Amino acid sequence: MGTAQLIQNLLNGISIGSVYAIFALGYTLVFSILGIINFAHGAIFTLGAYLTYALAVGQFGINGLLSGMSLERQLPFALALLVGSVLAGAIGVLVERFAFRPLRNRGADPLLALVSSLGVALVIVNAIQYLVGAEIYTFPAGVYGELPPALMFQVSGHPVVIRTVQAIIFAVCLLILAVVGYLVRFTKFGKALRAVAENPATASLLGISVDRFILVTFFMSGFLGGTAGALVGTSFGVAGPYFGVTYGLKGLAVIVLGGLGSIPGAVLGGVVIGLSEAFVPADYGAYKEAVAFAFLFIVLLFRPQGILGRKQLQKV
Amino acid sequence: MGHFLDNNGFLLVTLVQQALLAMSLYFPLAAGQLSLASPGFYALGGYIAAIVGTLDYFAPWRASLGWLVFPLEWLLAAAASALLALLVGIPALRLRGIYLALATIAFVEILRVLSLNLEITGGAIGIFGVPQLFESRWGYIAVFGPLLVCTLVFGHRLERSRVGRAFRAIREDELAADAMGINTTRYKVLAFVIGAVLAGVVGAMSAPFLNTWNARQGTFDASIAYLAYVLIGGSRSIWGPLFGGMLLAALPEVLRPLKDSRLIINGLVLVFASIYLPQGISGTLARFSPGKRKGALPAGEPQEDA
Repeated sequence: MGTAQLIQNLLNGISIGSVYAIFALGYTLVFSILGIINFAHGAIFTLGAYLTYALAVGQFGINGLLSGMSLERQLPFALALLVGSVLAGAIGVLVERFAFRPLRNRGADPLLALVSSLGVALVIVNAIQYLVGAEIYTFPAGVYGELPPALMFQVSGHPVVIRTVQAIIFAVCLLILAVVGYLVRFTKFGKALRAVAENPATASLLGISVDRFILVTFFMSGFLGGTAGALVGTSFGVAGPYFGVTYGLKGLAVIVLGGLGSIPGAVLGGVVIGLSEAFVPADYGAYKEAVAFAFLFIVLLFRPQGILGRKQLQKV
Repeated sequence: MGHFLDNNGFLLVTLVQQALLAMSLYFPLAAGQLSLASPGFYALGGYIAAIVGTLDYFAPWRASLGWLVFPLEWLLAAAASALLALLVGIPALRLRGIYLALATIAFVEILRVLSLNLEITGGAIGIFGVPQLFESRWGYIAVFGPLLVCTLVFGHRLERSRVGRAFRAIREDELAADAMGINTTRYKVLAFVIGAVLAGVVGAMSAPFLNTWNARQGTFDASIAYLAYVLIGGSRSIWGPLFGGMLLAALPEVLRPLKDSRLIINGLVLVFASIYLPQGISGTLARFSPGKRKGALPAGEPQEDA
């Protein structure tokens, strides 16, 4: 592998890895507080992509209830991304309110939360299909305004290409990670959040409104999932209502690799898996999809707590 | 009646098949292990049947064995599933709860990507023209029906046996079971292998039934469907996956008049069933007939907190 190829793979890997990171962070936030995995997260990812597409482009295809419709006003991409992600966050709040809270209040078996969140995913995905059909939606080239489609430079005589989308993805993800990191680490809000994660009952006794923090967490989680979906959608196209399923599963691999419930772990896991996929040789490109799961399996066998996770204490 | 069966035979056999797959997830769950590996073994069994049924290499077998090649396929599928389950299960079953579920999701996905890319499994297109065992779809009840009855009897007897009591003890508290001298690893692996063999055999029977086999047979979606069957049917007795599998597999057909919105309703049913039927259908029914079935969950018993 030449230097140029190496740099190209690194850049590709870091770009997609940063999306995995913010997506996985959405899983981690909910897991660290409730100790459950929200299986509707992949559907929220899909939803974010469709919402951003609707706001930024607003042209619908030939299938579904909205066939042939087009929205009169289009938002600039940056604003569409923000509004789309906020809406995805709001749906995340609804998911908590209707699929998780009733079960939590009853102290139900955590497995049931798994099934009900999957039920929600089924509802979201099929509602999307009902509205806009199963066709592929791609963002038109001019969606980022005047920016050129790609940057190119030479390394020892070979070209290295950075698509503008990749740069945008990386910049947005970095910004989001900085904001989330600041919120959780350095604000009173973050302190309360960590207190709820540590022990909800104690946090409640200390005057923290646990239910409200859970809602905020679901909002943040939905926002992150929605942004990730929209970014992947602009890069590779919105490939039908089911396109979030693979990312949903890969996200699980990411959080386990980094350590379940660990925020830096989710980021590290995302970058590691993004880079590993980028370095899969082109001849074996079809096996790229299995990389994350191979990691997941191997990590679970040899270090179930992940790279940065704390070892679970066994009761005696 | 003949007309009815011509039209609905496929659906009725599918209901039995789905109930069987639900049971394949029930056995590990009875020992407290949430394994989502069933679709992987189901796909493996199907590929074995499809490959033995279509590849030229096996033509002499087919010629000399006649219809006996089908039971041979089932045996092969059972043996291969058991072997793979041992290989995967022994290391994976050290994990608990959600970790084991995640490991089995990874297992299913790896098998799916492999079958999408290997030559012997027909790649993305899959394998077509798997030889038929019966002329009509309904005829397949003659293989799925007896398997269902055998599995029900097996599951029912298991619940009352030494092994079944060990499973229950592990489900309630693994450490306590261990302390009482139960070899927890052995029983967990056993439960996992039972589920895997059942899924593998159902797969081997399904390849001729469906006539074609491809990578879409073993997906994450299927794992979740089976889990929903068991939890909504009730995870505390073998009747739960029977009810759950049959009812939920029939649901999309029952909702067919709703056309495109039916899968939305299907999702809502899952949400509401998890919220309002926490013990599952069989658990809820058992509540209303106290004392009728020993071992059923009495009303008011606290929920298991896994």
